[in-house]
Amino acid sequence: MSEYLLEMSGICKAFSGVQALDHVNFHIRPGKVMCLAGENGCGKSTLVKIISGVYVRDQGDVFFQGQKLDRITPAEATRLGIQVIYQDLSIFPNLTVRENLAINSEITDRRRIVNRKRWTKTAEEALSRIGYQIDLDVKMGELSVADKQLVAICRALLFNARLIIMDEPTTALTKREVDALFRTVRKLKEEGIAIMFISHKVEEIFEISDDVCIMRNGKNVFEGPTADLTRDDFSYYMTGRRIQPDPFVPEHIQEKPVLEVEKLCADPYYHDISFQLRKGEILGITGLLGSGRTELAMSLFGLIRPDSGKILLNGQPVSIKSPEKAKELRIGYVPEDRLTEGLCMRQPIADNIMLASLDKVSRRGILNHRKLFSEACRWVKTFSIATDDPHKYAQTLSGGNQQKIVLSKWMNNNLDILILNGPTVGVDIGAKQDIHHLVHGLAHKGLAVIIISDDISEVVTNCSRVIVMKEGMIVGEMKSEEITDQRITEIIH
Amino acid sequence: MNKTAWKRLTKRTEFYIFIVLIALIAGIQIVSGGQLLEPTTLVTILRGMVVDGMFALICLIVMISGGFDLSFPAISAFAYSAATTICVNQGWCETNPLAGFLLAILFGAILGAFNGWIIANFKLNTMIVTLGTQTFFTGLTMGLFQMKEITSTLPASFRALGESYFFEVYNSQGQRSTLTTSIVFLIIMIAVTSFVLRKTMFGRALYAIGGNEVSAERAGYNVKRIKFILYVAVGALAGFIGMVRVCLARQSIPKAMVGKEMAIIPAVILGGASIFGGEGSVFGTICAIGLITVVSNSMLLVGIDSYWQNFFNGLVILIGITISAVQAKRQRR
Repeated sequence: MSEYLLEMSGICKAFSGVQALDHVNFHIRPGKVMCLAGENGCGKSTLVKIISGVYVRDQGDVFFQGQKLDRITPAEATRLGIQVIYQDLSIFPNLTVRENLAINSEITDRRRIVNRKRWTKTAEEALSRIGYQIDLDVKMGELSVADKQLVAICRALLFNARLIIMDEPTTALTKREVDALFRTVRKLKEEGIAIMFISHKVEEIFEISDDVCIMRNGKNVFEGPTADLTRDDFSYYMTGRRIQPDPFVPEHIQEKPVLEVEKLCADPYYHDISFQLRKGEILGITGLLGSGRTELAMSLFGLIRPDSGKILLNGQPVSIKSPEKAKELRIGYVPEDRLTEGLCMRQPIADNIMLASLDKVSRRGILNHRKLFSEACRWVKTFSIATDDPHKYAQTLSGGNQQKIVLSKWMNNNLDILILNGPTVGVDIGAKQDIHHLVHGLAHKGLAVIIISDDISEVVTNCSRVIVMKEGMIVGEMKSEEITDQRITEIIH
Repeated sequence: MNKTAWKRLTKRTEFYIFIVLIALIAGIQIVSGGQLLEPTTLVTILRGMVVDGMFALICLIVMISGGFDLSFPAISAFAYSAATTICVNQGWCETNPLAGFLLAILFGAILGAFNGWIIANFKLNTMIVTLGTQTFFTGLTMGLFQMKEITSTLPASFRALGESYFFEVYNSQGQRSTLTTSIVFLIIMIAVTSFVLRKTMFGRALYAIGGNEVSAERAGYNVKRIKFILYVAVGALAGFIGMVRVCLARQSIPKAMVGKEMAIIPAVILGGASIFGGEGSVFGTICAIGLITVVSNSMLLVGIDSYWQNFFNGLVILIGITISAVQAKRQRR
């Protein structure tokens, strides 16, 4: 018998002439965690779909436990013990945990009538596999992302899974939840189950995986044990270029603060927050999810009304009642979830860029489309947004480029203060650095920037000053020379 | 009752609808000087709930699956008009109404299958599709087949069924009211819908599809087939309910159903069904229909002009849709 659980060689797949996979080789060992890494659009999900039987390969050989498989159908994949946990987890938010757990096997067994006792038995059996406890009567939609994920894992285990494929499982999780997930993954490993872990977060990959397969443009550029790989090599294979860390060095920080926050409170989000912000600096605000960092930012942009305390702009007390008012005061905000809060995905790129400054390209309420377009093209060029036509929808862009649109949208407005919340969440390594460079440039031009992030290394390299929040309070503040990963982590936990 | 069960109960729209219904009945009872709970009024209200209640149930099952059916009144009108016309022309159904009902069910199922075929195969928005087919079906009824009103020539067995009753009651002024036997249809349909939704995998599939269609497909449900069956069943039932209505009204009027969907769908939403699918129950739906019937009946009792009925129907639409939207918002958090 082969050493590998799943062995794929020379896999090719093309979609209407575009080669999505180009002779990919791929091996998974039983009881090991294999990470499949790569930037968006590199062919990761196509590969997963071939393994799970959704797509049929054009070329190449697949062996499962030493046996050659000619054609994989979804049913065949399930029978072999291949389970995919998709990023959206494939759960039913309107149904109870019990039903969510039982539903798959009920359908496979072709049941017609509901039997609550049998459902409970199935559900309990599923939960016992990883020793996880939860109220079966709770509706799935009421659970946290981490709990939903555990339920989804339990459900996958019901089918005597030998290989579980997890598609970017850590995207919406906090650090603590990720740790809990990894404990579960290790438990599954001990039971001899192979895990295929799709991610592009370097830290996680090095923490959890035994083997790594890195893909770029439909080819796998690295395959082998994680131990053989350094972090530098990793980002080289991911992007195809060597990326040097490029810390932010402030050029000219103004003496007088542009923003002063004094004893700001908004129950129950944060308490007694005081800090200053100067033009030309990048201030980092970090803390765990729920530490009040996002709510603080929202207050500065008029989205949450503080209960007490003062906000001073250029020494003048102001009350920021609404986002319109904030805009008037030359404060810009790029939200955490750019997809739902910052962008109209099904609108042209050009329209998105100009969305916050339509008055500049209109006269008496009538839009000048030609002006809008030429103005937008200027920003596309300045920020090197990767598109051949700004008329295309925003959703055609990659995450990094979408973030650039959101940035340009605000830059268009002659700001004094720019607040960036999680500016590189879900963005590839290469695009990440492009965005950081852009932000550095903005600070050099005299903008005061606040970066809110839980990505500590991002805060360390890009901020000249960092505030650490915990449970709604500021628990630490440090200047650039004192900022290290380790110190922040110590304060946070 | 323990605390979590109570908490869960107070989260449900059905709970509030039920309380409002009880409070309303109590209120009107006092304002109308005890007229509402008189036996004659009660049987009238029950009679008024038969057709609307059954229509609401078919709307409910479509909405649970995440769809909207605007075409059920048009299907119903075509089915009963065609069935009655054929019965009259052939001289059928003088003693037994069965043939008429079977014809209506058949016609309803055929039109429903048309809906189902488009919706399942082309994966289109159900509201748009049924908006189109609604007009199309009405066109069939009125234009292509030129169906006429049938009143005095209505087959005798239809008339007999509509007039049959379980018992009669009299109020203080000596007015007579009867409890129609067709209430049995409503009761059976409540029982069957309840059973299907809660106890069969088909019913659970509707909830699953309404909750997350992609997941339902991945879980192994044959979503296409389930949707097709759903719309055929809804069409068949619309035909059947239409026939019940013909019997109760003792006339077949092709235009009688116009705008019915705008009265029924809001009630279903008021009863706790979500406009985004995946939520809703038979109990809530029936409570909401009860509420609307009580309100419209009481307005006559309390002596409010019948024009106000539109006002209240509109109000119900707004309240129902607001509740649904607020709940969806809360869930997304």
